[in-house]
Amino acid sequence: MLATIIRKEFTEMWRDGRVRSSAFALLALLAGALLYGRAQTRALAAERHAAAEATRADWLAQPAKNPHSAAHYGIYAFKPRATLATLDDGVDPYAGMLTWLEAHKRNEFAYRPAQDATGAQRAGALTAATTLQLLVPLLIVVLAAGSFAGEREAGTLRQLLALGVPARTLGAGKALGTAAALGVVLVPAATLGVLAIVGLGGDAAHDLPRVAVLVGAYLLYFVAWLGVVLAISARASSSRVALAAALGVWMLTTVLAPRVVTEIARARHPTPSAATFAAAVRADLEQGFDGHAGQAEAMQAFERRVLAQYRVDSVSQLPVSFAGLALEEGERVANLVYDRHHGRLWDGYAAQDRVRAWSALVAPVLAVRALSMGLSGTDVAHHRAFADAAEAYRRRLVGAMNGDMARNAVGVDYDYKATPALWASVGSFVFEAPPLGATLAVHRESLLLLGWWGLLGVLLVAGAAGRVRP
Amino acid sequence: MLEAHALTKQYGDRVALHPLTLRVAPGELLCLLGANGAGKTTTINLFLDFVPRSGGRALVDGIDVAEAPLEARRRLAYIPEQVQLYRTLSGIENLDYFQRLSGAAPLDRAALRALLDRVGLPRDAADRRVATYSKGMRQKVGIAIAIAKQARALLLDEPTSGLDPQASNEFSALLDQVAILMATHDLFRARETGPHIAIMKQGRMVDRFAAADVGHADLERLYLDHMRS
Repeated sequence: MLATIIRKEFTEMWRDGRVRSSAFALLALLAGALLYGRAQTRALAAERHAAAEATRADWLAQPAKNPHSAAHYGIYAFKPRATLATLDDGVDPYAGMLTWLEAHKRNEFAYRPAQDATGAQRAGALTAATTLQLLVPLLIVVLAAGSFAGEREAGTLRQLLALGVPARTLGAGKALGTAAALGVVLVPAATLGVLAIVGLGGDAAHDLPRVAVLVGAYLLYFVAWLGVVLAISARASSSRVALAAALGVWMLTTVLAPRVVTEIARARHPTPSAATFAAAVRADLEQGFDGHAGQAEAMQAFERRVLAQYRVDSVSQLPVSFAGLALEEGERVANLVYDRHHGRLWDGYAAQDRVRAWSALVAPVLAVRALSMGLSGTDVAHHRAFADAAEAYRRRLVGAMNGDMARNAVGVDYDYKATPALWASVGSFVFEAPPLGATLAVHRESLLLLGWWGLLGVLLVAGAAGRVRP
Repeated sequence: MLEAHALTKQYGDRVALHPLTLRVAPGELLCLLGANGAGKTTTINLFLDFVPRSGGRALVDGIDVAEAPLEARRRLAYIPEQVQLYRTLSGIENLDYFQRLSGAAPLDRAALRALLDRVGLPRDAADRRVATYSKGMRQKVGIAIAIAKQARALLLDEPTSGLDPQASNEFSALLDQVAILMATHDLFRARETGPHIAIMKQGRMVDRFAAADVGHADLERLYLDHMRS
């Protein structure tokens, strides 16, 4: 009986030209988004790889010079383009893709394509993720809004129920029939997506489990939508009312809610603008904070401590280069400031993300969006992991330069020149993305709520079908 | 067998069906004759459990429809005044779909086609989409669905509406060995089809007699007398 209903639902939808053209249009959009995303990933990955090689070569090609001068020469750290960013580029266009690593300064990220884009470009960016999150639910609305309401309106529901067909079987058949019609779009799209990713030569052991979780997340999301739309259809007095109500829910939860929630999150957990942030960092560097002295004062105290430690009266009597020690101490003091401000900033973003995550109670798109970005390696947590890794590398690199100077520049300080062997002693910057478990832990609320929405979808279909009246 | 025992339906203070008691044995046909609002369709809806009863019982083959609606419906066939079918499916696809869902043993394509032939659907129409059908053609497919179900009881709500006279007569001949409850306001059809006629007015069964006992003119007079009283 169930198979008969599924087959009939699918046949009806398939024969409806409007549904067929909507499905093909969506498939074309998805294919376009995937191919564009793939081309972007390939181009950006190649670009960044080449740029990273070039900056490393520049670093190694420095002639003999003072190590501090080399630390100022610096090096770029490029955020590697995750293979799965093909599906969802997440915060990458907004967060920046590279940062300049140098002595004394923790620089902001640069190259943010969204900064150069117009508002329309930002809003209309087509990715596989936005298509799946916004347009597939719209197709579900088109496919399923008339399921019960249309049959009730036409009178066929009365005849079906009079046959003794259990309403829940009918509901399940309608849900699975609609799912089969969706499959015509989603199965080829998923196949194309996997082929697009595999062809990019990423790490399959890293990517495929994430793709599997992503597929599961989207399935839950679509089940939730199917349940909501079928429940509306079962209750609505006509197919027009069902369509209008379902479109209203779509508009509220997928278009408006994310924007409203973002504003609420910003209002509840405000983060400073770039200018305010830079000014606050500068002020703390100069004046100190929470009992920590400003840099000038700290350096005077540091000199007294070093002289006492080595039991000498002046820095010229030290067995090490005071300039090297002072540079290292300056880094330590500055790093306290950077850790404090960047820590607050990231915590602020994390708090905003939590508001968005829990708002998925009313708008499931927020849960699937967070998971999609997380699993694609393009969420705030991945960006933070990269920023922290880049900063750790900066500290290691600058520390190596300052340490060499402290040991070897005794009496000559800034006239000391290190050989290129020192530059090579600092290995290349390599970023390892957080493991899948860490990503899922960051997005546990989204996982939980998406699971809840999937279950709710099933319950809504069963409940609505159980109460359906001719 | 169809039975109603003091079956009633109220919507708030308004009584749509006063306690109704009737029994239709296998092979019998009872026509419920009455104007709009007389309670005919309410009676049918109560037998289908499409509306909850306010009192009494409705039984199909001894099964209480409110207690086991699916069981009861599986023993019933129902033809509404306007049979509605899926417009994008052909006549034979519609018949196949409804027949498979009815719980009866599935019929092969040839058997379905033979059934459509039997109810008088033009052969070239069976594979055409129902969107192109006339009302009469849809009724014929509806009748084929009812026959294919091989139900023990039939509920008919103006079933011959839209059928040409020949098809109506063929339809009457097809219905055999089942308990039939037919709602109609067509006096001529009631007399021609129903061995038993019950006149309903404002939710009450006001009269019941054998069709053979009255001529057409008598039936018309009797009906009008009841409507005026």
